Amino acid sequence: MGTINSALSVMTGALDADQEALNVVANNVANANTKGYTEETPNWKENAPIAVGGVLIGDGVTETGATSERDRVLEARLDQQQEMASASSTRLTALNNMQALFTPDSGSSSASAGDIGSDITSFFDSFSSLESDPTDNALREQVLSSASTLAGDISSAASSLNGQSAAIDQETTGVVSQVNSLTGAIAQLNLAIESASPNTDAGTLEDQRQQDLSQLSQLVGINQVTTENNGLSVTTTSGQLLVSEGQNFQLTTGTVNGVTDFFLGGTDITSQLASGGGQLGGYLTARDVDIPGAVSSLDQLANSISTTVNARNNAGTDLNGVTGTPANPLYIFNEPAQLAGSAAAMSVIMTDPSQVAAAGAGNGTGDNSNAVAMAGLANGLIVNGQTPINYYSNFVSTLGSTVSEVQTENTAQNASVTQLQTQNNALSSVNLNDEAAAMSTLENSYQAASQVFTILNTVMASALNLGQETAVA
Amino acid sequence: MQELEAPAKNPELKELVVEASRALARLDTPRLEELALSCEALNRDLDSMDAGEKSDLARQAREAAPDMAVLGRVLAVTRANQNVMRRLREMRERRLEYSERRIRGAEDAEAANGDD
Repeated sequence: MGTINSALSVMTGALDADQEALNVVANNVANANTKGYTEETPNWKENAPIAVGGVLIGDGVTETGATSERDRVLEARLDQQQEMASASSTRLTALNNMQALFTPDSGSSSASAGDIGSDITSFFDSFSSLESDPTDNALREQVLSSASTLAGDISSAASSLNGQSAAIDQETTGVVSQVNSLTGAIAQLNLAIESASPNTDAGTLEDQRQQDLSQLSQLVGINQVTTENNGLSVTTTSGQLLVSEGQNFQLTTGTVNGVTDFFLGGTDITSQLASGGGQLGGYLTARDVDIPGAVSSLDQLANSISTTVNARNNAGTDLNGVTGTPANPLYIFNEPAQLAGSAAAMSVIMTDPSQVAAAGAGNGTGDNSNAVAMAGLANGLIVNGQTPINYYSNFVSTLGSTVSEVQTENTAQNASVTQLQTQNNALSSVNLNDEAAAMSTLENSYQAASQVFTILNTVMASALNLGQETAVA
Repeated sequence: MQELEAPAKNPELKELVVEASRALARLDTPRLEELALSCEALNRDLDSMDAGEKSDLARQAREAAPDMAVLGRVLAVTRANQNVMRRLREMRERRLEYSERRIRGAEDAEAANGDD
């Protein structure tokens, strides 16, 4: 029940939040409108009045200027939605690859991550088994075997995540090459348009520039600013200049802390590009946020299990009557030197099963009190205040929620792109009646869909209540 | 890019919600109106369902929750797009008004100059 209530709450929240976004969009469009309006005015002034014998005839309006201006705004909105869709699509691909690592039955080629949840349970269960016969060598071997499986799977998952990060890093450099190529082409087209057609629509040249802008917006988040003489400046969404009329500014790359960073005029703009959208934004969000977050969680899990289990084993007595000392510790796992990198480095260093300290210190080798204590760690709040299995479950659950959220956004953005393309096509031959019809289609669809949504909301709430009553009865 | 799933032949609630998102993406008003009627009928039928049907519908509702979130977001982006189109329309109308004012201004200028 909580799930559906949460989902409905998210829906309401999303709609409320979108009102704010919508206002921002409206303001942006209004500003674009103002600028374009000023520039296009001369066209209207020249073309509107047709004087015959001193009398002005006709409605005095040619729609060419308006068509051009309207298309630019609509295309800019389309570009914006495409860049968001592209970012979420790229990020979603990376997230799905990550999620496959932690989904044992996914059939992923990355199945080397195994089933860490089961590994954790099996590892601590092996101590429970050892409790019944602490001197049994097979049970001791089982402890080391399950420890090895757990360490191997965590280490493998971390390595796979690092590999995914490296692959994404490689992709980003390719994207930057395409960005530079497109900004160069747009600058050249700017020159051609300003020269050939400074006051009117430049036809094919503008079409070509729009195509390049559309491609560019799918690669990186951009803002477009119309300049004099039909020119165009292009900036990143955070305002760094990529194209200024006939000049383009190349993005360059450099290695910082082992990953590729992006520079414009000597300034590192990687974080701005990450939040700016487009394919590059999606890649960078995956590389710099999603993957490091997952690796960090695994590091915490590996570090906590390793250090806690090592400390407990070191405090007990092994089958040879030995208790660990600082000089000769009885460690099962490789003791992590620091938190970062704990997961990738996790391994079992104990090779002799007799060194598993099942007995409490000073209790003789037949004692099982330390095995009991180690089995009890399964329920101890040893990983950031949580039990190991709960910590891992929460990590996987959070990852799943992120995938779901990005999936929802991506689907909505693709739907938006489809709608805008439909509108764009409907308005290709413009007159006021066509435009009104296109608007009407949009409004009627929205109203009908709102009705569907509202009724479904009621149906679902009622259905869940009915289901509850049935369950109680 | 992720595509919306194709509708099933005998849709459950989940498929109905997905179909609504698909139709809204395509701006398919007639389809959306059909879906609205279906939903109204479903809503009416709720009271006459037996225990088994109610339980099954509750399951369907739980399964459809993520797709309702998607429909909510598609509605939201549609509203944003609608707003953009309204702004464009306003822009166009203002342009026409402006142009008419310019024409009237030209007429006034002609009148002031008189016929030479």
